[in-house]
Amino acid sequence: MANEESIRAFVQAVSGELGSEAISTGEEVLTRYGEHTLPGPDLRPAAVAFPDSTQAVQKLVLAANRYRVPLYPISTGQNIGLGSRSSVRAGQVVVDLGRRMSRVIEVNEALAYCVVEPGVTFQAMYDELVKRKSKLMISATAGPPQGSLLGNALDKGGGSGAYADHFGTLCGMEVVLGSGDVIRTGDGSLESASHLNWHVSKYSFGPYLEGLFTQSNYGIVTRAGMWVMPRPPHIESFFFTFPDDTDLHQIVDLIRPLKLSNFVPTQIRATNDLYLIAADCVHPEYGQSGGKKQITDEARRALQKRYGLGSWTVSGAFYGASRQAVQPQLDRVIAHFTRSGKGRFIALEEANEIAPLRISMNSYEGVPGEGELKMLRWRPGGGTIWFLPRTPMIGSVANEFHLASRGICRDHGLEYMVSNVCGPRFARGVHTLVYNRGDAEETARADACYRALALEFAGKGVFVGRAPTAYQGFHQGQRMSAFVEACAAIKRALDPNGIIAPGKYGID
Amino acid sequence: MHAPIPITRLDQARAAAGECVHFGFCTAVCPTYILDGEENDSPRGRFVLIKEMLASKAPPRRATVVHLDRCLSCLSCETSCGAGVNYRVLIDIAREYVESSRVRSLPDRLFRSGVAALLTSPRMLRGLRILGKPLSGLVCALPGRLGALGRLANAPGLAAFSPRGAPVLPAPCSREAPSPQLRSVALLEGCAQSVLGAEINCAARRVLARAGVRVVESRGNFCCGAMKLHLGFREQAIKQAARCVRHWGEMLAAGAIDAIAVTTSGCGSVIRHYDELFADDAELGQAAASVARAARDISVILAELPLPLANTNSGALVAYHDACSMKHGQRITREPRALLRKMGYVVADIAEGHICCGSAGTYNILQPEMSARLGQRKAANIEAIAPDVIAAGNLGCLIQISRFAEYPVAHTVQLVDWASGGPAPRGLEGFVPRPLAQEASAEVPAAEANGDNSAFW
Ligand SMILES: Cc1cc2nc3c(=O)[nH]c(=O)nc-3n(C[C@H](O)[C@H](O)[C@H](O)COP(=O)(O)OP(=O)(O)OC[C@H]3O[C@@H](n4cnc5c(N)ncnc54)[C@H](O)[C@@H]3O)c2cc1C
Ligand code: SF4
Repeated sequence: MANEESIRAFVQAVSGELGSEAISTGEEVLTRYGEHTLPGPDLRPAAVAFPDSTQAVQKLVLAANRYRVPLYPISTGQNIGLGSRSSVRAGQVVVDLGRRMSRVIEVNEALAYCVVEPGVTFQAMYDELVKRKSKLMISATAGPPQGSLLGNALDKGGGSGAYADHFGTLCGMEVVLGSGDVIRTGDGSLESASHLNWHVSKYSFGPYLEGLFTQSNYGIVTRAGMWVMPRPPHIESFFFTFPDDTDLHQIVDLIRPLKLSNFVPTQIRATNDLYLIAADCVHPEYGQSGGKKQITDEARRALQKRYGLGSWTVSGAFYGASRQAVQPQLDRVIAHFTRSGKGRFIALEEANEIAPLRISMNSYEGVPGEGELKMLRWRPGGGTIWFLPRTPMIGSVANEFHLASRGICRDHGLEYMVSNVCGPRFARGVHTLVYNRGDAEETARADACYRALALEFAGKGVFVGRAPTAYQGFHQGQRMSAFVEACAAIKRALDPNGIIAPGKYGID
Repeated sequence: MHAPIPITRLDQARAAAGECVHFGFCTAVCPTYILDGEENDSPRGRFVLIKEMLASKAPPRRATVVHLDRCLSCLSCETSCGAGVNYRVLIDIAREYVESSRVRSLPDRLFRSGVAALLTSPRMLRGLRILGKPLSGLVCALPGRLGALGRLANAPGLAAFSPRGAPVLPAPCSREAPSPQLRSVALLEGCAQSVLGAEINCAARRVLARAGVRVVESRGNFCCGAMKLHLGFREQAIKQAARCVRHWGEMLAAGAIDAIAVTTSGCGSVIRHYDELFADDAELGQAAASVARAARDISVILAELPLPLANTNSGALVAYHDACSMKHGQRITREPRALLRKMGYVVADIAEGHICCGSAGTYNILQPEMSARLGQRKAANIEAIAPDVIAAGNLGCLIQISRFAEYPVAHTVQLVDWASGGPAPRGLEGFVPRPLAQEASAEVPAAEANGDNSAFW
C-alpha cells in the first residue's frame, strides 16, 4: 500500500495532467467505492480516477509508476457478489473506466462484431443496436443490465444464447500495460494504418496474448472487439421442470447430446428451485429460524408448488425463421426430456405467467433486465458471494457434486442455489450464497461455507473458474507453485513496479 | 420549527433506509448521477442525506435541500434495487420534512405553492391560459423558473391535445359488455390534463364505448393529490385524495363501476398506492384500498378488450416512451406495447428507457436546467428512431418531449382510438398506411424472401 504522501502527490499530478474531474478523493466517493457484499470489511480506496481515453489511462499508469501507487481497474463495477466496485485490497486507487469511456467505437453489421470501450454496458449495447436498427443481437446476462460487456468478458463471464461464451467472443484488444506501454493484440499489432482482421480473427502471428488480460493484473484493457450474433427472426424459449433433487443426474445426461451435436444452439441451463424462485420472493422462514438454518424441505416444496416448478428447471432456446420452422426441433426436444416420465414441458403461455421464467425468456431474446437482481434479497443484510466451479457434463458426476454442495450449504445453515449453465463438455455451476452481512455469525458461516465448497470441489479435482476478490488469494494458494511463480514472472515482465491491482487473482 | 411527522411514518422511512445494503445498482440508473456523477445526486447519496436529516430532527441543511430537490422521484433506483428498498416512501417523507421545516425562502415557497395550486385547479389554469396568451412571448424569454413555466405553456405538443373544434362525441356503446368483470368504469379527468390534454379523455371515451364499456360520469373533477404529494404538501394532498376515495369508493361499493380508468400515469402511480396513503385512516382505509385495487391504467384495460381495426394507421412507427410513473411507479411496460402492436402499429423502444425525460411532475418548472438536459437526451434517442409519432401514457412526458423532439406526440389511447376508427392524432392526418411485415412463413423469413441475404435462418 502506498503511503499518504505518495497518494497526495499522485492525486495532484493526475489533476494537473488530466484535470480535476479525472480524480476524486471525496469522502462519499471513497466510502461508496469501498463497499462490497463479501465477508470482511469494506475496502476503502485511496482515490478514484476517471480517465476519458487510452492516452489518459496511459498517463495515469505512468504517474502511478512514478509515485508507486497501485491502481485497480473496473469497467462499471456492477460486480456484485464478486467484489462490487471495490479493489482487492484497501488503499488502491480504483480506476473507474466506465464513467467517461463508454463509446461504442464500431458496429460491423457484415462481420457481426462491435468494438467497445469499458463503459459500454449490456443495456447500452442493446440500446445502440436497436438505435441503429441493427440486425445483430447481444448475448445478455441475467445479471445487472448496467454491467460492462467488456468487464464481464474479461472476468470470463457468460451469458445467454449461442454467443454465451463471452470470453470466447473477445477478439482484438488495446491494452495499457503496467509499464505504461500501450499494445494492440493479434493483428492489431501490425505496424499499419489499418487492421482488417483485428476483430475478426484470433489466428494472428505468434502467441495469443489476449487470455493474459482476463482475470489478471497485467494491464488495463481500454477497448476490445466482441463478436455478436445476427438476430434470428424467431426465438423460441423452452422450459421443462423435473420434480426431484436427484433428477439432475438424468438432466445432465439428457442435455449433453443436445449440446455436443449443437442441436440446441443456446447453452442449456439446469437451474434449481430456489435460484429461480428467490427472484420473486424472500426466505419464508428467515424470521422464525433467525437465518440459522437452511430452509426446510417442507417450505421448499410449498414454494415449488406455488410457482409450479420442480426441483430443477431446464431452459434453452431455438432460433429459426418462424415458430413453425422450429416446431419440429421443439417436438423432438419435448419427446427427449419427457421420455422418462419425470420431465414436464412448460408451454410458453404458462412460462410467461411465472415471473422467474420470464427473466430467462428476456435473456434468451438478448434483452437485459434487472429481474434476477431481486434474488439477492432472499435473506436480509445484502451479503452475496458467488461460488463458480465447473463440472464435466456427466450426470453421475454432476449429481455427486450437487449432493455434496447441498449438504455443505445445509451444514452451514444456508440455502443451496445453483444454475448449471451447460455446454457440450462442462457446465458452469453458478452457485450463489445469499447471507445476512449485518449478522457477524451468519457472515462467518457464509465465509466458512464458501471455503468448504471450494475445498470439496478441489478435493475431487475441480477448480473454480472465477472468484470473488476476497477469495482470489486463497484460490491461487490451491494451485501448483510453479504455476503461481509463472504468473508472478509475467507480472514482473509486464508490470515491473507492481502497479496494477497487486493481489488481484492472487498475483503479486 | 416544523409540523411533526407522525412517528409511524418516520419509522417507516427509517425502515426503508435500513433496507439499503449498498449494492449500488441504483447509482448506475439514476438520471442525475448519470448526468453529473455527483455522489450526493445519486440515490445512495440521497439516502444518507435523508437519514441524517430525519435523525437530526433539525431543519435540513441547505445542501441537503439542493440534492433532494434535484431528485426527479422517477423511481428508476427502486426498479433496479436488488434489496427492494422503497425509495418512494423515503423521498416522499423527505420532501414533506423539508416543506414543513420552512427552510425555503419566502419567494421560493410562494412559487412552489403557486405552481401546485395552478396545476391542480382547472379553473385557474384555464384562466391563466387565456389571460397569459398575450404575454407568453415575454414570459418565455425570462430566465429561470418563470421562463420555464412560460416555455412549457408554449410547448408544441400542447396543440396535439386540445379538444377539437366540433366535439367528437363518444360512439354509443355498440356492444354487449365485453366481460362481466368490466361493464362500466369511472374515468379520471385529471386536473391539468382536463385543461391541457382534454383530447386524451375524449379519445378514451370513444375507445371504451367502441369496446362496449360504459363510462359513468363523475360528479365533478377531483384532483388525486399526486402533484402536491410530490411537492411535499402531504396534508393538502391527502385532503384531495380523500375526496377521490369517498367518491370512487361509493361508486365501487354501490356496484356502479367495476374499475377506475386512468389516462395519466403520474396520477395512476399515486392512486394505486392509496392503500398506503390511508393506511392509518380508520374511516377511509378500506375504501382507499378498494380504490387502489380498482384503478387501472387505460392501456391495461384496453389490452384485454376486443376492438375493431380500422387499418388507417397500419405500419405507423411509434417510438414508445415509458413514463417513469408507468415503468417504475406501476411496473407497466408490456401492456401498452402489446396493445399498440395489436392495433397495427410498429413499436420501437427508445434507448435508455430507464432514464427520465425530465418532466417529472413539476420538475421541468422547478429544475429547468437539469430537466432540459434530460429532455435533450431523450430527444436524441428518439431521433435515432425517426418515428411517425412518439407515444406515452402520460401527458406531462409528451409535452416535455415535444419541446425537444420534432415529431408528433400522442397519448397511447389516442393511437388506439385512431386505429379503431377515431380521428387521426394531430400531425398524423396525412399518414398513408403501410403494409405490415409479412408473418414469416414456415421455412423462409420475410427478409430472406425479399432478397436480404445478410443472415440465413
Ligand atoms: C443477480 C446477478 C446475476 C448475475 N448473472 C451473471 C451472469 O449470468 N453471467 C455473468 O457472467 N455474470 C453474472 N453476474 C456477475 C456480474 O454482475 C457481471 O459479470 C458484472 O456486471 C461484470 O461487469 P462489470 O462492469 O460490473 O465488471 P467490473 O467490476 O468492472 O470488472 C470485473 C472484473 O474485471 C476486471 N476489469 C474490468 N474492466 C477491466 C479493464 N478494462 N481492464 C482490466 N481489467 C478489468 C476488474 O478488475 C474485475 O476483476 C451476475 C451478478 C448478479 C448480481
Ligand atoms: S428517484 Fe430518480 S432521480 Fe431520484 S434518486 Fe431515484 S433514480 Fe435518482
